[in-house]
Amino acid sequence: MSENAALYQRRIVIGAVMCVAAFALVLARLVDVTLLRGAGERSAHEVLENSRADLVDRNGELLARDIPVADLYARPHAFWDKRQAARDLATATGADQRRLAEIFAGKRPYVLVARQLTPDEQDRVLRLGLPGLDFQPTAKRYYPDGRATAQVLGVTSPDAHGEDQGVSGLEMGLNERLRGGHPGEAVQLSLDMRVQYILDSEIEASREEFRARAAGGLVLNVRTGEVLGMVSLPDFDPNTRALENDDTTRDIIGQDVYELGSVFKIFSFAMATEDHTVRPDEVLPIGNSLTIGRYAIHEAERMPATLAARDVLALSSNIGTAQIVLRSGPARQRQFLTRLGLLSPLRTELPESRRPLYPSHWGQIETATIGFGHGVAVTPLSFAAAAAAVVNGGRRIHPTFLKHPEDARGEQVISPETSLKMRELLRYVVTNGTGKKADAPGYDVGGKTGSAQKAGKHGYEHKLVTSFCAAFPIDDPQYLVFVMLDEPHGTKATFGFALAGYTAAPLAGRVISRIAPILGVPQKLPVAVAARSNT
Amino acid sequence: MIRILNFFCIALMGLSILGLYHVSERARLANIELNSVNRQIADERAAISVLETEWEHVAGPGRVAELAAAKFGLDNTATAQLSSLELLPRRGDEAPLTPSPIRRASATEPASTPKLQQISVRDGTQ
Repeated sequence: MSENAALYQRRIVIGAVMCVAAFALVLARLVDVTLLRGAGERSAHEVLENSRADLVDRNGELLARDIPVADLYARPHAFWDKRQAARDLATATGADQRRLAEIFAGKRPYVLVARQLTPDEQDRVLRLGLPGLDFQPTAKRYYPDGRATAQVLGVTSPDAHGEDQGVSGLEMGLNERLRGGHPGEAVQLSLDMRVQYILDSEIEASREEFRARAAGGLVLNVRTGEVLGMVSLPDFDPNTRALENDDTTRDIIGQDVYELGSVFKIFSFAMATEDHTVRPDEVLPIGNSLTIGRYAIHEAERMPATLAARDVLALSSNIGTAQIVLRSGPARQRQFLTRLGLLSPLRTELPESRRPLYPSHWGQIETATIGFGHGVAVTPLSFAAAAAAVVNGGRRIHPTFLKHPEDARGEQVISPETSLKMRELLRYVVTNGTGKKADAPGYDVGGKTGSAQKAGKHGYEHKLVTSFCAAFPIDDPQYLVFVMLDEPHGTKATFGFALAGYTAAPLAGRVISRIAPILGVPQKLPVAVAARSNT
Repeated sequence: MIRILNFFCIALMGLSILGLYHVSERARLANIELNSVNRQIADERAAISVLETEWEHVAGPGRVAELAAAKFGLDNTATAQLSSLELLPRRGDEAPLTPSPIRRASATEPASTPKLQQISVRDGTQ
């Protein structure tokens, strides 16, 4: 009897242990389902709470924001007809039908159907009424203005932990600020979307008209250093990130270096004026060529036998400019360009930056060619910053993409008197020289054309980079506009000419006449009216 | 006496338990409702965020210009900024036609001779 009791007791203990083990398993599963897995699922607003800060323009217009989207997963074994499910889901989400059919036919129990579905796409999927579908909330960086801001804003990409990181443009340059923000916070940029749109549409129109390989431009406040607009074409769609046709993510304004040609004469004349080595009315011999050692310098166009110094700039004479810069000499020219910041990489919020290219040996011939913009290659953004210092009273500025409306002019690099004389000369280029087509009546544009031959494998080729650097209103400049076209072609309207005076100058004039009213620059009397009433 | 006291204490304890249960249940329900409202607010904020983004997209200058050209045949017109609010005189200030910072917008009479006009003749003598 006692043996039986012991046996029953043992069985009861075993039964109790099994019950406890079963309950423990149920408890473990409950903890897993309710606590561990529950924490992994995030609702749309929880996703947004951990998102990147918005990017807005200087007027508060939205430029980039994380919006709630969902990744769609499926359990293929729950589908009654896998082929039909693949067909329906492909139609609703835009996913590849063949890929879906393959993964649904496979053995994996849980598969990804499509990423980053918008609310509309989610609605279409739900209307299918398919079982075994699961939406995982996530966020997508969206750019409402699409291509217009693509090159300057850049894009993001998820890292190993699934968190979006900037991989180009300001998204990368301001990555820490954008990630460290609180929900609803925004980083305010210096860009003005109205200016950006006008710049983009005009440059696109010119690029099409002259069938240029690439084109770009920027608008810069010469006192605060704020970049109000920056465009580089071709561009790409930052929302799809699919590169189509000739799309590229390369920003030619901040990322590429160019020998910009005759726009560099601005610095040559600024140096000569600062050094008092030339007077505007001094007459210089031009001739057919200028020989320096083994090299001969020629003009791009036919020139008179002699020119006044101001006409050397206005008509863009290489020979005249070479004579003028040689008076200052190589060491002074190098020191002058260094002070303007042209011989070191420009640091801005943009992560992309290129070191300028310049000759290691800076002799007489290099001085002469650099005087008219060949031999030194800089980024257009770096060039614009230096040109702004020439016209803003002679003080250096550092371009910024963050809103900073206060005067940020720094070190005095040329005297205010030189700056005033340079503004007079730049106005003269527009009224009497190669920049006539850049004039925007009433806004007193001053500027300089540049038509540079591109360097190829076998020396300079018959391909041009044309540009125009303008400042307005020139008696007290507030803004600088720089535009450039890479390999433009002449048209019937330009008599086949592709030089800057026919391609880049009118583009700059159109941009100025459209942005000046928006920027609140009062229109003065048209030059012709003023001249008529003066006589 | 002790029995009455015990009965009273037990009754009080029972009532306290019931009261506590009632309060905790109300708090639980309120908490559920609060979470629900918070979630609703957050979802609506998310929806507003999407709508704001959509508005920026549909009301962007590029799209408006495209639609204006396609639907109404409109194109860019020449614009002129004759003055700005900052330059307008305040009430009681000097009248605008006396010497003032306002540029005169007349097409026939200049406010002043543009300074840089003097070098606009090629020989530089003017």
